[in-house]
Amino acid sequence: MAVRVQFENNNEVGVFSKLTNSYCLVAIGGSENFYSVFEAELADTIPVVHVSIAGCRIIGRMTVANKNGLLVPSSTTDTELQHIRNSLPDTVKVQRVEERLSALGNVIACNDYVALVHPDLDKDTEEILADTLDVEVFRQTVAGNVLVGSYTALSNRGGLVHPKTTIQDQDELSSLLQVPLVAGTVNRGSDVVAAGLVVNDWSAFCGMDTTSTEISVIESVFKLNDAKPTAITSSMRASLIDSMS
Amino acid sequence: MSIKTEIVKPKNLRIFEADEFERLLQGLQVAACMLTESHQVVDEASVLKRLRALTINGASDGNCCSCCGVGPFESRAQQTAHYKQHWHTHNLKRKLFGKAPLTLGQYNSRQDDSSVTGSDSETEDSATNPESDLFAAATRHCKAFFTNKKKQVFCIYRCILHHKKEELSTDGEGIAWVERCQRLTIPGFQRWAILMVSGGHFAGAIFSGGIAVVHKTFHSYVTRRGQGQAQISRDQHGNAPRSAGASLRRYNQAQFLEHIQEIISRWAEDLKGCSLVLYRAVGSTNQAALFGKNSPLSRDDLRVRALPFPTRKPTYKEVKRVHETVASIEVYDTMELFQKALIASTSKTTTKNNSETTVDRTKKTPKSSNKVIDRAKSRERVPRELPTQIMSSEDEGPCFIDSETPVGWIKTLSEQCTNGVISNSRKDLLHHSFGDSDSSQNEEKTELKKDHVKKKKKKKPDDNKQNKKISANVKKMWKMILDKELTSLETILEEFESNELEAACNTQDPTDGNTALHKAAIAAKPDMVTQLLVAGGDPCVRNHLLQTPYVAAHAHSRPAFRFFQASHPDKYNYNESQIPGPLTQEQFEQEKEKKAQQKRAKRQREKEKQAEKNKVNKFLQMTDHEKVKADVPKCFLCGTNLPKQPFQYNDYKFCTITCLQNHRNLRPLHKSA
Repeated sequence: MAVRVQFENNNEVGVFSKLTNSYCLVAIGGSENFYSVFEAELADTIPVVHVSIAGCRIIGRMTVANKNGLLVPSSTTDTELQHIRNSLPDTVKVQRVEERLSALGNVIACNDYVALVHPDLDKDTEEILADTLDVEVFRQTVAGNVLVGSYTALSNRGGLVHPKTTIQDQDELSSLLQVPLVAGTVNRGSDVVAAGLVVNDWSAFCGMDTTSTEISVIESVFKLNDAKPTAITSSMRASLIDSMS
Repeated sequence: MSIKTEIVKPKNLRIFEADEFERLLQGLQVAACMLTESHQVVDEASVLKRLRALTINGASDGNCCSCCGVGPFESRAQQTAHYKQHWHTHNLKRKLFGKAPLTLGQYNSRQDDSSVTGSDSETEDSATNPESDLFAAATRHCKAFFTNKKKQVFCIYRCILHHKKEELSTDGEGIAWVERCQRLTIPGFQRWAILMVSGGHFAGAIFSGGIAVVHKTFHSYVTRRGQGQAQISRDQHGNAPRSAGASLRRYNQAQFLEHIQEIISRWAEDLKGCSLVLYRAVGSTNQAALFGKNSPLSRDDLRVRALPFPTRKPTYKEVKRVHETVASIEVYDTMELFQKALIASTSKTTTKNNSETTVDRTKKTPKSSNKVIDRAKSRERVPRELPTQIMSSEDEGPCFIDSETPVGWIKTLSEQCTNGVISNSRKDLLHHSFGDSDSSQNEEKTELKKDHVKKKKKKKPDDNKQNKKISANVKKMWKMILDKELTSLETILEEFESNELEAACNTQDPTDGNTALHKAAIAAKPDMVTQLLVAGGDPCVRNHLLQTPYVAAHAHSRPAFRFFQASHPDKYNYNESQIPGPLTQEQFEQEKEKKAQQKRAKRQREKEKQAEKNKVNKFLQMTDHEKVKADVPKCFLCGTNLPKQPFQYNDYKFCTITCLQNHRNLRPLHKSA
């Protein structure tokens, strides 16, 4: 079930939060409304953590994360990094990267297995990304945009891409990512899907403006209706695939 | 706009010539070069249909790369490998710039060239693709292009159609553009204001249908010529000049701003009725004059737009000229004429730039070649000769060349040692081994060594025979050492004469450089080690692997060396033998005891741990009810010890809140209770 939520009257929830299968990061806001929505939905299963990056609240656009790890830009202060390390599970690797394209969330889209990155991303960052998040990295564009992180919302079960992505591109990306993809919008027609939507394998949060049609698309492509956090999709999948291949 | 005159002279129209303008607008369309490719209109039904297909099939199997025109791939590995190639990344970037992809062959050949010429390929590409070029030129142009029924092409300034901030969509047919263009025929949309402020001159006018309704120009003395440009900023930073002229200027500046604000506020009503306010005001002070406090104009207002071309000094004449220019429409009779004009205009500007840069370069080059090193460029590679064969200067050259493996290298090194390259202190120690080794390993000698040996042979021909006899005995001793059943060497050691004994003990085996001591130590025979050490076997001799006997020794025979050092502290120079230090029997026993104790303690601890584990397991296997009864201070879920103030519900106690939550989730029945 996708939940509609607002951050201080702003619908771009993907800017102020980061959701993965093993933890959730939420920006420090003026009120706790935003945080409590996440907590009510997730606190039983994964930790929800207040975080800031370089004193800013746009953590969703600055960081890139999955269940294995978290990359933060070089502007992150030591205290912030320490706080993140303390509050996340021990299995999550937290790493700071020196990258010219410092809004990592805008230039990298990833789930727990694959990542699409900006064609100009640094070679070193690509390696750190592969090591920390344990993903396979591909340089790609989405609908002619280099900001793949902004225009793609990905989970292990599906993905939503920029509305102007051609069917052929969708097919290619889908076969590359090994998840079903669909082109769509959030927040009443906004094409920056990653800014309007955060999603993991069993839950999604989108901006308050999102229409019911958009929600139905989101729920069906991310398969949220039948989803519950299970070991099969999260921790066991890798080993299952290994043993089957 | 001198470019037009070169190629074709377009007809010029005014927007206010109503009849002609309306005739022009018949069958109005946006020119093709303005439009982007229309994307599929995504309707709900098609998306849902696609979704349904997706949920059945999962990931798509369209495993080809349209960007590079490759595929379908045979395997996932092949696919991922392709997406990681530089070729793919390169094509991706080409696609972003609207260029055709390269095939692998083209890419490879390009790579070979590109190491020499960086950006040459780019210019060549743009020439080959005129269509995208035209599009790029058209979208960046300050005018918008339309066609009509008669296939005429005409250009209107973008600034009268839309504000820079509102992007009109160029998808599909560009309906928004057509609408904006047609709107211009309505008289209400022909009421424009033009305001210009610059260097103490102000000129403003409001035009309705091509005629000035109100206008005002004036000039104040606000810039002092020859005093430098930043007079206002100097005032603001506190180091204002105090001359009479400067204060006059300040006064005038204030008056000038006040005056402009007065005029604008007087025109407020008229400005409200305008569909367009075009302005030219460069710099913060000039802009503040127009948009400052209490001004009826606001920069956020979409009617208020900057002029898209440079203007001259603000006068009424100039304002009229600007108005004429903005309102003019260029009409080309056919598409071809228009395209030629457009491309010529763009290419002219670029060539102009190029020629400028080349002139610059020619000016700069002599300078740079003389003094400055351009570090941004990689230097030309000067072919230099490789150095000639490596060790020509050193005397023992051939030794290095024939060594290939590390062991071989060490061997040659140790041979060098025996040749006398070694330090003087050890020379006499090794002295004995010379004679033996040259007798037994004649085949392996380098020429140099042979010379050396010959000299020796000439000196002591008698020794040689003795050495041979000794070596037979030594070989016997070595065999005895390797014999598993023997533990003592007394019998064979007695056979040697007292003066030969030491030499025999220190004889090195030519195959690995081991002495008898080495062999005994490796064979783990501590008694033999002690006997050999007593007999004079030096613990400092190194074998071909540069190991002393102690280093090469088996763990069992090592204490023997240390015992010996304790009992005979002055017999050898132990510093070189790498023996860690003397050890008495007592100390040895103590150490042994200590280790045994530690081992026992460790075993005990492990036992306790296991017991605890079993206890916890037993506790965890109990039902909740039994756990409550047992009243053991352990977490009901994970079995760890409880803190002082445990978390609890229904008499169930937990170490942490997460344990409690997990416990609750496991037993949904209790939720209602």
